[in-house]
Amino acid sequence: MSRRIHPAVVGAQPFQLTARERFDGPIFETEEGKHRLEAALSRYPTKQAALLPMLGFVQSVKGWIEPADMVEVAEALDLTPAYVHSIATFYTMYNKHPVGRHFVQVCTNISCHLNRAEEVLHRFLAETGTREGEISDDGEFTVIEAECLGACGFATVVQVNDRYLEDVTPDRVPGIVENLRGGRDP
Amino acid sequence: MAENGAKATVTLTIDGVEVTVPSGTRVIEAAEHVGVVVPRYCYHPGIPTRPAQCRMCLVEVEGRPKLEPSCTLQAADDMVVNTASDTARTARQSVIEFLLVNHPLDCPICDAAGQCMLQDYAYVTNQLESRVDEPKRIMGRDRISDDILYFADRCVICTRCVRFMRDVAEDDSLIVAQRGDKAYIDTFPGRELDNPFQGNIVDVCPVGALVHEDFVFKARSWDMDATASVCPGCPTGCNVTIDTKENQIVRVKPRHNAAVNSWWMCDYGRKHLVMTNRGVRAEVPLIRDGGGDGDDGGELRPVDWATALDWVAEKVAALGAPGGSAVVSPDASNENLFYLRTLLDRLGVADAAFRVPQGETAELPTVPTLKLRADRAANAAGAGFFGGRRADGPPDGPAGGALVVLDDELEGAGEDFGGSADFFLYLGTRLPGPARNADAVLPIATFAEMDGTFTNFENRVQRFHQALRPPGLARPGWMVLSRVLARLGDGEAVNDVRGAFERMAAQAPAFAGLTWDGIGLKGAPAAGSAAEAAGVAGPAEAGA
Ligand code: SF4
Ligand code: SF4
Ligand code: FES
Ligand code: FES
Repeated sequence: MSRRIHPAVVGAQPFQLTARERFDGPIFETEEGKHRLEAALSRYPTKQAALLPMLGFVQSVKGWIEPADMVEVAEALDLTPAYVHSIATFYTMYNKHPVGRHFVQVCTNISCHLNRAEEVLHRFLAETGTREGEISDDGEFTVIEAECLGACGFATVVQVNDRYLEDVTPDRVPGIVENLRGGRDP
Repeated sequence: MAENGAKATVTLTIDGVEVTVPSGTRVIEAAEHVGVVVPRYCYHPGIPTRPAQCRMCLVEVEGRPKLEPSCTLQAADDMVVNTASDTARTARQSVIEFLLVNHPLDCPICDAAGQCMLQDYAYVTNQLESRVDEPKRIMGRDRISDDILYFADRCVICTRCVRFMRDVAEDDSLIVAQRGDKAYIDTFPGRELDNPFQGNIVDVCPVGALVHEDFVFKARSWDMDATASVCPGCPTGCNVTIDTKENQIVRVKPRHNAAVNSWWMCDYGRKHLVMTNRGVRAEVPLIRDGGGDGDDGGELRPVDWATALDWVAEKVAALGAPGGSAVVSPDASNENLFYLRTLLDRLGVADAAFRVPQGETAELPTVPTLKLRADRAANAAGAGFFGGRRADGPPDGPAGGALVVLDDELEGAGEDFGGSADFFLYLGTRLPGPARNADAVLPIATFAEMDGTFTNFENRVQRFHQALRPPGLARPGWMVLSRVLARLGDGEAVNDVRGAFERMAAQAPAFAGLTWDGIGLKGAPAAGSAAEAAGVAGPAEAGA
C-alpha cells in the first residue's frame, strides 16, 4: 500500500482502502505507516502537531483507535500515552470502540431532519439489524447518528466510511445496504 | 526594570481601596493585598499556567464593557476594579449554578466538606434551590495512583491537578479525558500515576474530587486540629501542617514557604511523618538502681520522673568527667541536641556519632530548593553544630566511662552493647533491645509531640509545634535534660520551649541572635550560614 502522498492529506485515506481492508498490528512498522509519519512530520514544526493526522490515519486503517494504537502513536511522536488518550477522547469523531467495516453516519441535523433523516436512520438500523453504535453480527455495519455533515443542500446526507451519499431517502436504504454487503459501490 | 520607561509599580483601586503593587501583578493577587480573596478554581499561586477557564474570578473593571478574569488580568495604573458588583456577583452565581448541575452534593460523606471551595462559594452565592429537573450525570470513582482516589462526580475540571503534574512536576501522565460535561481526569487506561510528588494534586484540588486513600472517611474537617510543623523526612525540611484528630495524625499537608518547599512536599515525607509517630513507645522512666523486687537488684525498674531524674543526676555527679562516647539521632531537635551537648561536656564526652539512613533522591523539576534528599533525617545539620560526627555502620559502646544515647534505635548494635560502660544513659522515644542494657532509660517525645526547631540543609532554623500528646510519661528531651542539668546546678528546669531556645541561642554560636518569636513560622537562617544572606520574603499566603 505504498504510494507517495502529499503531506496535506496525510491523515486521510481513500474510500476503497478503508472499506475493503482493515489492518491489524503495529502501524508504524508498515511501509505505509512509516511514509505517513515521515510526511506528517515534514509538515509541522513540532512532532506533537502531527498528532491529529496520525490518529486520523490510524482510524482510517483500523476503523478505530485502541489503547495499543495510542501507545504506538505516542512513541512515534515523543508524547505520553496519557496525552494521546486525552486528545483522542476529546474529539468524538475518533472511534474509541471498534466499528463495522462500513461505518455509516446518518446526518440528523436541521436540513436532513426536515428531509426524513430520522426515517433514513431507522431504516439503516432495521436493514443492518443493529442498534445505534453496535456492530452487526456479520461485522459489516455500524450505524450512528451524526451532526451536520456540511452538505445540507443534498439532504439527507449519509457518510459511509469516507464517502458521502447524497439525497438519501428511506427507500434507497435497502439497496445501499445490499450493495455494501456485496462489496459493490453503494 | 526601567526598560522602555516601564514603571516598577502600578497603583489601582480595588473595591474602593487604593493599592500599589509591582507591575505585572495580576488583579487576583493585587486584591489579596487589600484583603480581598477573589473566588477562584483554576488559579493556584503555585502553578505557573493560568488558563482562565473556570470563570469564577470574573471582576468588573470600570470603563470595560465585559467582566474580566482577574487571574490573568494585569493590574494597571488607575484601574478601578470592583470584585463584588452586582454583575460580578451574578456571573459568579451562574458559574456555581452550572457546576452544581451535575455535582452530587454528597457533602455528608465527602472528605472535603468544610474545606471545600465549591461548598463555600455555593453558600456565599446563596444557591439554596436548584432549578434543574434533569437527572444528574453519574460517573463514579477511579483510582489515579496506588493511594489517590478520584471521585469524578465532584470534579469541577479546574485542571489544577493536571497542571501541577504537567507544569510543576513536568510529568505528562495525568490528563483531562473527554470534554464538556463528560470530561474527567484520567491517566492512560491501565496505568497509574507514579511520581514522587503526586500527592500534591490532592492538596490543590479545590473540592473533594481527589482524596488520599488513607484519609478517606477518616475525619471531618471540623473535627481536626491543624498544627504548623516541619517534615522530618529529609534535610529539606518542608513546612507542613499536621492535621490531628483524637491524638492521631490523620493527614499531612504542605505549608507554603517560598524559601524552602514553595507550596509542595514529597510523598515519602507524608508517609514518613505519619509512620514516625506510630508503633510501640517508651512511656515510663526506667532505672537500674538496685531497688525493686528483684533479688539481685540488677533489673531495670519503672519509677516516677522525680526518682529517675534524681538518680541520674546523682550518677552523673558521682562520675565526674570520665569521658566515653555518645550516639545521637540526626532526627533530634536542636534544643535536644543542645542540652545533650551540655551534659556531654560535663561528662567529658567529646565524640557524638550520628548515623544517617540513606535513600533515593527525587527532585521537583521547577522548584530547585525542594528535593527529597539522600539523607533521611531532619537535623543532620543541627547534629553537626553540636559536635556530632557522621558515622557509618553499627554503633559500638566505649570501653569505659559514660555512654549516652539520644534516640538512636541502635540498629546493628551487639547484644551486650554498652555493657562495659561505667554508666549507660538512654534517652529515647522507643525501647529497642540494646537499650535494655542501659542503667537508665528516659522516655522522650517525638518531634510531633513537642515544640522545637530543626536546622535544614541550608542551615535554616525552622520551628515545629506540638501536634500530639506524648504517650505515658514521655516528655520533650529538652525538658528532661534541662532538669538533669538543673539538679547539677547548671541552669534552670525549662517547661517552655522558649526557655530552651533562649539558652541555646545564648550559648551556641550557630543560633546567636535568633529568637523563638523572631524565627516565626517560616524559619530563619542560622548565624553565618549561606542562607542568611539569601533572605527570601514569601509572597502573600492567602487562598490556596
Ligand atoms: S480533580 Fe480536583 S484539581 Fe483536578 S480538575 Fe477536578 S476539581 Fe480540579
Ligand atoms: S523533600 Fe524531604 S522534607 Fe520535603 S516532604 Fe520530602 S522528605 Fe519531607
Ligand atoms: S444538516 Fe445534514 S448535512 Fe447539514
Ligand atoms: S478563570 Fe480565573 S481563577 Fe479560573
